[in-house]
Amino acid sequence: MIAATAPVTARAALPANASHPGRHATMQDTPFLRFDGVTIRLGGREILSPTSFDVARGEFVCIVGPSGCGKTTLLRAASGLVTASAGEVRRNGVKMTEPSREVAFVFQDYGRALLPWRTVEGNVSLALEAAGVPAAQRAHRIADVLGKVGLAKHAHKFPVQLSGGMQQRAQIARCLAQKPELMMMDEPFGALDALTRQSLQDELARLVRDDGLTVLFVTHDLEEAIYLGDRVIALQANPGPGRPSLARMIDVKIPRPRNQLTTKEHPEYLQLRRELFAFIEQGHD
Amino acid sequence: MTDHRLLRWLRPWVFPAALVGVFEWYARRASALGSDALAPPSAAARAFVGAAMDGSLWQATGFTLGTAALGLLLGALLGIALGVVLGLSRRAAQLGSMSIEVLRPVPSVALIPLAMLGFGFGVRMELAIVAFATFWPLLVLVQSAVQQVEPRLLEVSRVLGLSARERAFKIVLPAIVPRLFVALRLGVAVALVVAVTVEIAANPNGMGYAMMIAQQSFDPALMLAWLGWIGVVGFAVNAVMLQLQRMVSRRMGVQP
Amino acid sequence: MKRGDERAAMNRLGSLGVLLALIALWWVASNAGWVSRVFLPTPQATFASLLEGLNLTGDSGNGELLAFTQATVGRMVEGWLLASLFGVLLGAAIGVSPSVRAWVQPTLEFIRPLPASALLPLAISIFGLNPGMVLFVVAFGAMWPVLLATVHGFAAVEPRLSEVARCLQMSRTAYIFKMGLPNAMPDILAGMRLALTIALIVAVVGEMIASQTGLGQAILLAARAFRASELFAGIVLLGLIGFASNALLAFAEKRLLRWQQPD
Repeated sequence: MIAATAPVTARAALPANASHPGRHATMQDTPFLRFDGVTIRLGGREILSPTSFDVARGEFVCIVGPSGCGKTTLLRAASGLVTASAGEVRRNGVKMTEPSREVAFVFQDYGRALLPWRTVEGNVSLALEAAGVPAAQRAHRIADVLGKVGLAKHAHKFPVQLSGGMQQRAQIARCLAQKPELMMMDEPFGALDALTRQSLQDELARLVRDDGLTVLFVTHDLEEAIYLGDRVIALQANPGPGRPSLARMIDVKIPRPRNQLTTKEHPEYLQLRRELFAFIEQGHD
Repeated sequence: MTDHRLLRWLRPWVFPAALVGVFEWYARRASALGSDALAPPSAAARAFVGAAMDGSLWQATGFTLGTAALGLLLGALLGIALGVVLGLSRRAAQLGSMSIEVLRPVPSVALIPLAMLGFGFGVRMELAIVAFATFWPLLVLVQSAVQQVEPRLLEVSRVLGLSARERAFKIVLPAIVPRLFVALRLGVAVALVVAVTVEIAANPNGMGYAMMIAQQSFDPALMLAWLGWIGVVGFAVNAVMLQLQRMVSRRMGVQP
Repeated sequence: MKRGDERAAMNRLGSLGVLLALIALWWVASNAGWVSRVFLPTPQATFASLLEGLNLTGDSGNGELLAFTQATVGRMVEGWLLASLFGVLLGAAIGVSPSVRAWVQPTLEFIRPLPASALLPLAISIFGLNPGMVLFVVAFGAMWPVLLATVHGFAAVEPRLSEVARCLQMSRTAYIFKMGLPNAMPDILAGMRLALTIALIVAVVGEMIASQTGLGQAILLAARAFRASELFAGIVLLGLIGFASNALLAFAEKRLLRWQQPD
């Protein structure tokens, strides 16, 4: 199901009570996360034209697009790490200007986002320390979260002793320890090999489902976006009049739980894949 | 916009100017109270000009710089030569490692009395100590640089049948030039510091000695003038070497 | 891995052999009079002076060298500890704030190339010729490498980690102690190692010109009195101090920076 190409300023929101696989339907007037005319300018050029859409609680939204389309910057603006040049992002109706512990951010360069002088345990503990969790409770929560990502046996290792996939899991563990409402992920599996990527995708899907997390997931991998997401937002680079950044918004109506083998043969998957690929190819002319 | 640039240009001077100002005020008060330990920077500036006019500034500076340069030349030549040898031959490096470990930690100042004994006072004594002090860092850095020469290039030299001498001069030395300049920059810094230190400790020549004499003659203004001048010379020499090193790195296509 | 161990042992042996050969060369040069014994004492005379001075001989060794060594090492360590403490405190204060850095850094860069010993005349002027004066210059001179290294360590925090700190809403104090300081640790330790060499040098020079008890004064007097074996004994001791202090610090560095080794 492909939604019509969103015009420049119209709100591309889905009604809160639409039946939608994987979403916890909530009857709210204020959407959980609202992007309202978010614009990003860099060096005088407009990288991202005014973009608006809503994200409901529990949704897994994937953002795809070629390099330079502003997807990473959009994510960073949404988490408060940078301020948008125009427009605002509102979480629960409140404008987001500064990072908050309730919005976890998973960086692509996991190696640089982990403290090299602390063990895996110590890195996860950092999130708890920052939140003021009393020392007595920390051990239990750390063990809990490490168990979820499958790093229980490596708790005492330093990042330098871990493989890429394990380091990324450690970062995800730290983010989970924040007990966030919203998780931002910036191409988290981009630097990993294909097999690790696949297993982490499934682990992530399971974690998100178990904890009911809302996720904004940026990736350049179209297949990954369709596989993981409830919705895929496709951005295009070099926006201009009549050519907005937000080019396509697609609902992914494939049932969950998904599977690396069977889902990728599902007719809906194949159709979406074809359409997204075609769209990206158009964009390259 | 020009306001902004002017501000940026002036900013490095604000903090030191403030310090000098405080010092000036404090030193004037102190000498008004009869202390002859300190002098205000203004008096030091006057003393500096005096020394510049009567030639003593240039003579002492020339001695220190000249001796440091000669010592560096000697230490660097020996250090580079041995560094290349040890870098190219793993065996030689292993054989020499213990001797180096034993001799290197000796502080160069410990050899001042020995140099005094052997050479008396003057250029040779200071030169010898500077040479000793600069020999080690250059040896270690050049050895490491040679060990990191792209092995492919050394294989090429074997295939082409270059002699050991040709290999050293045509492949190894050009390959290590950027790192060599980093090492030389360090060597210059060490040479200058050691030279001044030797003059303060023993050698009756050069900037360090001039400063000591000023202090012993209860001429704090001149002493401070020398202290400031030593700082300026050190800074200038290091800045020039940094520029040189960057230029060379860029010419040789290396990240500075 | 027995062959590897064997080869390593052979290498150590060969290395030792070269060292012994050099000592043998020394032995021949001095005993045969190639170099006058006024400048180059024989190894055996040096060794005898060492034993005597350290009070290790049975008879009336005056044991002065031991006292001198203690004095010099004491000065060096005290000054170094003070230097490290103040260097880290000041360096952290400056390094944490980009604006403070911007104002102060150029001045720091000017002081960096200044020889620490150059402050001795000024200190003598102010404090006079006493042990406190030497300690002051040792501490002040050795402080700069630690201060500069700390500033650099704090300034160069991986930007990604700073973002993580923002995402976790870490307080300023938490940031300093949990990110700034550990991140600066490798730099600080390297700075402390450099500070130790400077501390030794300034201690020795200070003793020489301020006539303070210690190895510096001892070797100066030995040279003036043409007592070459005592001079060499002193030099050997200073070399040992340099070696031991560096080795200890390198060991501590390795332990503290375990997290850097992928083993």
